[in-house]
Amino acid sequence: MCSSQSRGSERRWTEVNMTQGESMAVSEFLARAKLIKQGAEARVYRVEFLGRPTIVKERFPKRYRHPSLDDKLTHRRTVQEVRSILRCRRAGISAPVVYFVDYTSHCIFLEEIVGSLTVRDHIISIQQSNSCKMLQLDQLAEKVGQILAKMHDEDVIHGDLTTSNMLLRQGMQSDLKAFLSTHPNTEVLFEKLLKSYAASSKKSSAVIKKLDEVRLRGRKRSMVG
Amino acid sequence: SSNDFFSPQTFHSSMHVTQKLELFPDHRLTQMLFKEVKNAAELRQSAMSGKINGALINPTMLVDPFQTLVAANKAVSLQKTGKMKTRSLYSEIIFNLSPTNNISEAFKRFGISDDNDSVLVALVHSEDESQLLTDIAAMVTGQQVPVEDISSLTDQEKIKKLYKITAQEEKCGTLLDAVVCRMATKDVM
Repeated sequence: MCSSQSRGSERRWTEVNMTQGESMAVSEFLARAKLIKQGAEARVYRVEFLGRPTIVKERFPKRYRHPSLDDKLTHRRTVQEVRSILRCRRAGISAPVVYFVDYTSHCIFLEEIVGSLTVRDHIISIQQSNSCKMLQLDQLAEKVGQILAKMHDEDVIHGDLTTSNMLLRQGMQSDLKAFLSTHPNTEVLFEKLLKSYAASSKKSSAVIKKLDEVRLRGRKRSMVG
Repeated sequence: SSNDFFSPQTFHSSMHVTQKLELFPDHRLTQMLFKEVKNAAELRQSAMSGKINGALINPTMLVDPFQTLVAANKAVSLQKTGKMKTRSLYSEIIFNLSPTNNISEAFKRFGISDDNDSVLVALVHSEDESQLLTDIAAMVTGQQVPVEDISSLTDQEKIKKLYKITAQEEKCGTLLDAVVCRMATKDVM
């Protein structure tokens, strides 16, 4: 019993040693990858992975935090994001497919929505065009409201809901991926969105009540500023 | 999804398909598909004894060879970090295909049974291993067919049931998307 146990622990020790040498696979891969966005929370890369166009979201270590606390928080956020994506997909919300999650480097490998456009860019381009501006924007706001209602019905809270975090699949109806910073004069639109949200959601009244409460606080008074 | 076979990263002879694992540049995955297999019991024994160094997979549980590729990438990654849940790389590939964390259930569903008449062989290797492929093909009493033929063997209903795929979910993507997503996220669900 003793010998087999000690052999077991020896093996484990070698494996652990190997771990430290080999957990670099993802970092080495990302060092050669194309960085497309750098945020405060994460870096986003565009790569080819398992032969497919893929987006990698890497939650990098925050040096201002104690390493073990940082690791715990980052791990939890990665897990929560992965769970939310699957929950959305199960409810029929078109979130990207997860190909692989590396919990050592806190990276999520996601399907790239090829040829997509952010809702933000889409709104800007509609506002710059002349034809049927209001109709297009109305339809968009309605769709966003519906998807958001569906998400909340599944108890998925986005946490950073901006138009930059929503993608429109080319030629298709809007897809909510992840609402906004600087769209001037969009109050009417936002009301439209809320109306659509209320019509679609099972539990909108509590949310709208809370929103009215938040609006009174002053900052982001219109929720679009 | 079948376009993946024509991506420049993929080498395919008329029969087998070999693909790169980008995270592990010295690792390749080769898949071979056999139909009308007469010696499944013997093959299963050979895999258990280590005579066949590869994963023997029940192809009726696969929608697309991409599933095996996703499972193999995860298996190699966990092997490198010492975090595999099973004893070998090949058992880990089979385990990774399953939507649950139950090892024996994974083997029952995704491994081959003695009465199977088709088998998908998955091999992880470095560089060119044509001898290894010939040796394994020689052990199978059956007809090798192109890996792309897997869709003719797929039991879609069984797969939908096992992975608990909803009709709603099928509206936002393919069955393969739904399956791969379950596989990649199962350890946190």
